[in-house]
Amino acid sequence: MKVSWNWLHEYVPLAMTVAELEHRLAMAGLNHESTQRIGGDVAVDLEITSNRPDCLGHVGVAREISVLWDRPLSVPEPVLPTTGPDITRLTKVSIRCPELCYRYTARVIRGVKIGPSPAWLRDRLTSIGIAVINNVVDVSNYVMMECGQPLHVFDLALLKGPEIIVREAFEAEQFEAIDHRVYPLRPGMCVIADAQRAVALGGVMGGRDSEVSDGTTDLLIESAEFAPLSIRTTARTLGLHSPSSYRFERGVDPVGVDWASRRCCQLILELAGGTPAAGAWDVGRPVTERSPITLRLSQLPRILGVDVPAAEVIKILTALGSRPVENGPDRIVVVPPSWRRDLTREIDLVEEVARIRGYDKIPEAVSVPMAPSHQRDEDRVLKKVRQVLTATGFDEAMTASAVPPAWNQACSPWTNAAPLTCDTPMLKDADALRVSLVPSLLEARRLNESVGNRTIELFEAAHVYLPIDAPLPREQWTLAATTGDDFPLLMGVVESLIESLHIREPLIMAAASLPLLDGQRQCCLQLGDRTLGYVGEVSSEGLKQCGLRAAATVMELDLSVLAAHATLIPWYQELSPYPAIARDINLIVDESVQWSGMQRTIRQAAGPLLESLQFHEVYRDPKKDGPGRKRLLFSINLRSAERTLTNEQADQIRQAIVDACQARHRAELLA
Amino acid sequence: MALADFLKELDALAASATAAFQASSDPSALEAARIEYVGAKQGRLKAVQKNMGQVDPADRPLAGKRLNEVKAEIERAMVMATERLTAGKGAAGPVKPFDPTLPGRPVRLGRLHPITQTIDELIAIMGRLGFSVADGPEIEDEWHNFEALNIPLEHPARDPLDNFYLSVAGRGRTAMLLRSQTSTVQIRVMERTPPPVRIITLGRVYRPDTADATHYPMFHQMEGLLVDRRVTMADLKSVLRMFATSYLGSEVRIRFRPSFFPFTEPSVEVDYHWNDQWIEFGGAGMVDPNVLRAVGYDPEDVTGFAFGLGVERLCMRRHHITDIREFYRNDIRFLHQF
Repeated sequence: MKVSWNWLHEYVPLAMTVAELEHRLAMAGLNHESTQRIGGDVAVDLEITSNRPDCLGHVGVAREISVLWDRPLSVPEPVLPTTGPDITRLTKVSIRCPELCYRYTARVIRGVKIGPSPAWLRDRLTSIGIAVINNVVDVSNYVMMECGQPLHVFDLALLKGPEIIVREAFEAEQFEAIDHRVYPLRPGMCVIADAQRAVALGGVMGGRDSEVSDGTTDLLIESAEFAPLSIRTTARTLGLHSPSSYRFERGVDPVGVDWASRRCCQLILELAGGTPAAGAWDVGRPVTERSPITLRLSQLPRILGVDVPAAEVIKILTALGSRPVENGPDRIVVVPPSWRRDLTREIDLVEEVARIRGYDKIPEAVSVPMAPSHQRDEDRVLKKVRQVLTATGFDEAMTASAVPPAWNQACSPWTNAAPLTCDTPMLKDADALRVSLVPSLLEARRLNESVGNRTIELFEAAHVYLPIDAPLPREQWTLAATTGDDFPLLMGVVESLIESLHIREPLIMAAASLPLLDGQRQCCLQLGDRTLGYVGEVSSEGLKQCGLRAAATVMELDLSVLAAHATLIPWYQELSPYPAIARDINLIVDESVQWSGMQRTIRQAAGPLLESLQFHEVYRDPKKDGPGRKRLLFSINLRSAERTLTNEQADQIRQAIVDACQARHRAELLA
Repeated sequence: MALADFLKELDALAASATAAFQASSDPSALEAARIEYVGAKQGRLKAVQKNMGQVDPADRPLAGKRLNEVKAEIERAMVMATERLTAGKGAAGPVKPFDPTLPGRPVRLGRLHPITQTIDELIAIMGRLGFSVADGPEIEDEWHNFEALNIPLEHPARDPLDNFYLSVAGRGRTAMLLRSQTSTVQIRVMERTPPPVRIITLGRVYRPDTADATHYPMFHQMEGLLVDRRVTMADLKSVLRMFATSYLGSEVRIRFRPSFFPFTEPSVEVDYHWNDQWIEFGGAGMVDPNVLRAVGYDPEDVTGFAFGLGVERLCMRRHHITDIREFYRNDIRFLHQF
């Protein structure tokens, strides 16, 4: 909302500098956007929050100034001659859609002479950036910018009837606006029609074939109140935003409707001549008195933390236009002004008092009571996870929650249900809520490849959105990572995670068949009876699909499963003072034997003295061992808490392992 | 002789012997050092050893232990010096040339995303001020995103074009949308917790905006809430001032400007004064009585304040980042700057 310094000065004395005005208004809620010098005037652009439509006119801003600087506000009171014929003989007005148009007033002036506006009026409009048209249109714009009430002036001779019917638009009704464009209307929109057709889109824009032109002599002046929601929907739907729709969307002053009509007629008579019809059409709901609001003075310190003397409270509220009806020692009752529909409750008055006094009066160094705060387990887990991932060389990425639908199709390890979609895409083509973080990370890989970054190790912890049969979807807290290295590297990361979270539940690996990954080089991970996630190398087909040049491996884990098994506060295990004994074992087995099975056998056979089991390598020598065979080399570390183990004891355990592996996996000991 | 004196003597001997062996640059110097320190008759070690007899018998085990350690230490230093001087002639082969100024073997450390680093710091500061972290779903119903927050149906904030509504198949299902603010979590926490409540929420929020240098349709918010008996705007101002002072590391002034949010009344914009200018910090206010009622609290019994700020903006200002989109491109060169 641009306001002109000279214009404001007509309603309130301005004894401050422009900078002071800008600052004080900003501190009272009218934010300063910019200031521009235009001719002999200064235009100040103010940001008006949506709850303050009363400040969408100069009088409203002048009122704030009068309150803040304690200066008198003078608002003109327009009076019209009552000499002309009665308006009911010239036209009639009816509202058929009271839910879209609350109130409609019309006045008629006949015999005007359209011409250019005088210099003072042109200056006013020009300084706040409004185009100058002719005396009648300029007056209607001037009054809107004066009091915030939009007006529309019809050429009475072009109205059929002549009458005004306020009604809902028909299905597929066409309307040509003053911008010469044709708009398709639909029910729910409010139309101003004459006896035959729509002549204006109520509160949004006038019609082309009833607008005031140079030859116009008779006028019908509309001042009305439309339903805010309908105006907003109409303006949005048609992409037709006007200063008028902007004000109706926020709500106009019901009392100001008639004032604006009279003010507009008064100025037209002054500048364009003519004779006004006696009286006015005023249909729709009557203006009702506002309900009184009680402000208990005790609420001021209770909310603001500072006492305010009763006299100051009453002064502020009165200056803002409220009418006091009770002024007791502990409570004040006021009727708020018609133009402040944002004031309906006690708390609204508390805010007004605080705002006008200034928030700098509120202390900023009171002692707030201490309170304990605690860290959630999820946050402890996440912290560990981030430590492990960064320590193993992974950078943390953050990617968008919505993805192109194809990404969800390419990788959906957690659900078979169709992904959720947004009505509006978040980014280009990205309207599907992701069901996996992996495609987003692979896209980040692609981007990094494209700018020539060589080492691309990324992870992300975020939600994936899984549709379930509940009011809201399941937001699974998920960790994903990608590396240019191979499967064992990411497996090592998974193992480090499990180790650092002190998860004792054994990790179970099962076959997986995710389409994005290499058929063989992937596996599914489980902890207890829950799926932890999967690890796998992206197939060459998958790489192509993602536009990747170099190999990539991915993993994705359900963090809630990790968290469920984590031991966040591990207990001390007493350290054995006795030395450990190590033994290497080299077994030949069939290719089909998997380490996960061997490992279980080894641990079982070794018993409680096994401190650690370390796998070293797989080695294949078909010449010596025959085809389809492999050697598994590993070592065991043995230690007792009670005594020093002898070589014989170690050899016995080693033998037990070899025997068990032989029995269960047909393993042969390499001599 | 006191134990302490004996130990001191031993330590001094160890230090000077080690230094002498290290300093020996040829076999004859080494031999001289050997005789001086560990010579069978006149060696200084021998001399010190003799003093042990004067140590209190009760302290002798300790003295003996240290003596043995020092002996071993001196021995090691002598062996190392011998090896050093005989290398190249003996079995160890020639000394390998070594350039100690070569760069070390690189260790790749990952970096946390700058947004995470900022969030961690915010959580730490607010934790010290007694606020615990709470979170909630990113996909919300209209009750938590709007109604309970005093945003009625006719409010412009509910316009479908200003929100990411989900396409829900089948009528009769409740409308869902990606939350447009983290205030939704306040509602969820208050619905299930009686006052007092003292929480912060950090997370992703979503608003349809065309991505450019300063806008992104997804960003992070931090939101704080304190509801209790006798909570006032002075508490809000004091907490925010402490927060700003902690975050910026020196005494910071803040100011309130009136504003309008449906879920707080009074509502304010918060600025802090830094480098001679006022910088926008975020929005705040006293929790609107309608919000307290919506979650079953009695606004006559408790009051509260809430505040919210954009994490990206804070992070961008701190690190002089000029394009918000960099956060979500994840270029390694960007991530490795923080």
